[in-house]
Amino acid sequence: MQQTFPISDQELEALAVNSVSSVFNTMLESEAHLRETIKIDEEALEKGVNLPINTSQILLAGTVGFIGGLTGIIYIFMDLPLAMKTTCKLLGLEADEVEEEGHETVNDAIGELTNMIVGTFKNDLSNKGYECRMTIPSILRGSNYTIEPAEAALRRIFKFDCEGSSFVLDILIKEED
Amino acid sequence: MSVKILTVDDSKTVRIIVKKAFKSFDCEVLEAQNGVEGLAMAAKVNPDIILLDITMPVMDGVEMLTKLKSDPALKTIPVIMLTAEAGRENVMKIAKIGVRDYIVKPFKEDVLCDKVSRVIDLRPAGESEPQQKKIDDPIDILVVEDKPAIIDQIKKGFEHTPWNVFGVSSTGEAIDFCQKKVPDCILMSLSLPEDAAITLFRIVRSNAKTKYVPLFGLSVKTASEEQHRAQQAGFSTIITKPIDFPELENKIGKAVNLDTSGKYFGLEEDYMTVKLPNVCNAAVVNEVSNYLKTKTGEAVDAGISNVVFDAQEVQSLDMEVIKLLLHSMKLCRDLSLNYALAGNATVIEDSKKFEESKDWVFCDSVEAARESI
Repeated sequence: MQQTFPISDQELEALAVNSVSSVFNTMLESEAHLRETIKIDEEALEKGVNLPINTSQILLAGTVGFIGGLTGIIYIFMDLPLAMKTTCKLLGLEADEVEEEGHETVNDAIGELTNMIVGTFKNDLSNKGYECRMTIPSILRGSNYTIEPAEAALRRIFKFDCEGSSFVLDILIKEED
Repeated sequence: MSVKILTVDDSKTVRIIVKKAFKSFDCEVLEAQNGVEGLAMAAKVNPDIILLDITMPVMDGVEMLTKLKSDPALKTIPVIMLTAEAGRENVMKIAKIGVRDYIVKPFKEDVLCDKVSRVIDLRPAGESEPQQKKIDDPIDILVVEDKPAIIDQIKKGFEHTPWNVFGVSSTGEAIDFCQKKVPDCILMSLSLPEDAAITLFRIVRSNAKTKYVPLFGLSVKTASEEQHRAQQAGFSTIITKPIDFPELENKIGKAVNLDTSGKYFGLEEDYMTVKLPNVCNAAVVNEVSNYLKTKTGEAVDAGISNVVFDAQEVQSLDMEVIKLLLHSMKLCRDLSLNYALAGNATVIEDSKKFEESKDWVFCDSVEAARESI
């Protein structure tokens, strides 16, 4: 199935980089640089994959799906200090103000950041002729994540560096019949 | 009255960002979390504009927009979509229902404000009740002119004022300047290459922060074609070169809504002076007349009972000035204020030529006039 996938690895990487850069530049006025791309083959996909980030610590995972000509789901994994820093920048608030508001504010900010990244990714797919609709973002807090897709899909993991920390963009995508 | 902006988005983050974006404007930002809440809020507060997301739980943005446009009471409320959903199909579908604009996330706050200000009258916070600047307050004048000699001439022309004159030579520099600091007034050469003045005019007028900044075109007197084009583009005031500085000062004062009463009215410990300038044309007479009632009222409130009309610098006394003085003296009598006149030889001579002023007595100094009361 992966061999017949209509988007090349190069194109997918460019889509990932463009969507992350566009959101980080516009909303956070900061740069995120691609550090590593991990291609997951079919065998590894079934076994489950370790993320290139310390998953024993608490991570925030933002998720948005898209349905249409191409269907998929994108996860963003980020540790709490980076999530907090990102929330402060996005909302123009100080850390103590965000802490006062509670977890929900950070969750919502990372959810919206994911929504914007996936939105940009999806819009680029639409421009390539794959019209899709997005799902509502959801957010998880936890550690030791393992993602095993129910169906065979193309999976690529991109690790980005930003302001001394790293975060991960995990893309699962398949072509609809 | 501040405008109402309704943001309908399931993300609290976006609602906070929208609120932050409009913080410096005179507006109230109201929030709703989905289409159902959005419709209810729209019916309740009748907002001036709605910023609407598409993907939301309970009722999405497309459904809310459809319902809004089919409600006679709400259908005229302009809507701007603010959404991560772009793509040709989406935009076409929504455009058919009727939206004023479409902003795709991620977005810059400035872009959001600019787009909203193109639809509703968005004014900077505090501008609804502006603190009126006085003639001796410093104001910032931006001169966009590619001839440095003209910039120098304008700087010199306003040397006697506390006004700050900043010169730039291109539209790019002018835009950079306005982003850092909004000037009180912009003077712009109409002869900048490639119709840059008209381009800059449109940029300034479409930006929420600068849309109300008075903008004057500068043009050589004989360049009637460029003046005509500028007027068609929307320039309401064109200053011709060589510049008549008293006239320009007057026009800037009016455009910036400066309190220019300080030029004519002075309150001393026990008397008020009304000083008429050497060129006492219709504009000056009109300006003095406009302030007269307020300033005499202030004098009465300050316990002052004597007024000196100082016409020592006036070049000639014509009927306009005589009418002004007649009106002023009547006002003084009505308010039980004592008054006296000070004038030069020409003024005294001129006064004898008119029936209305032939009996006026002028002193040769303000002090003497004050003593005579």
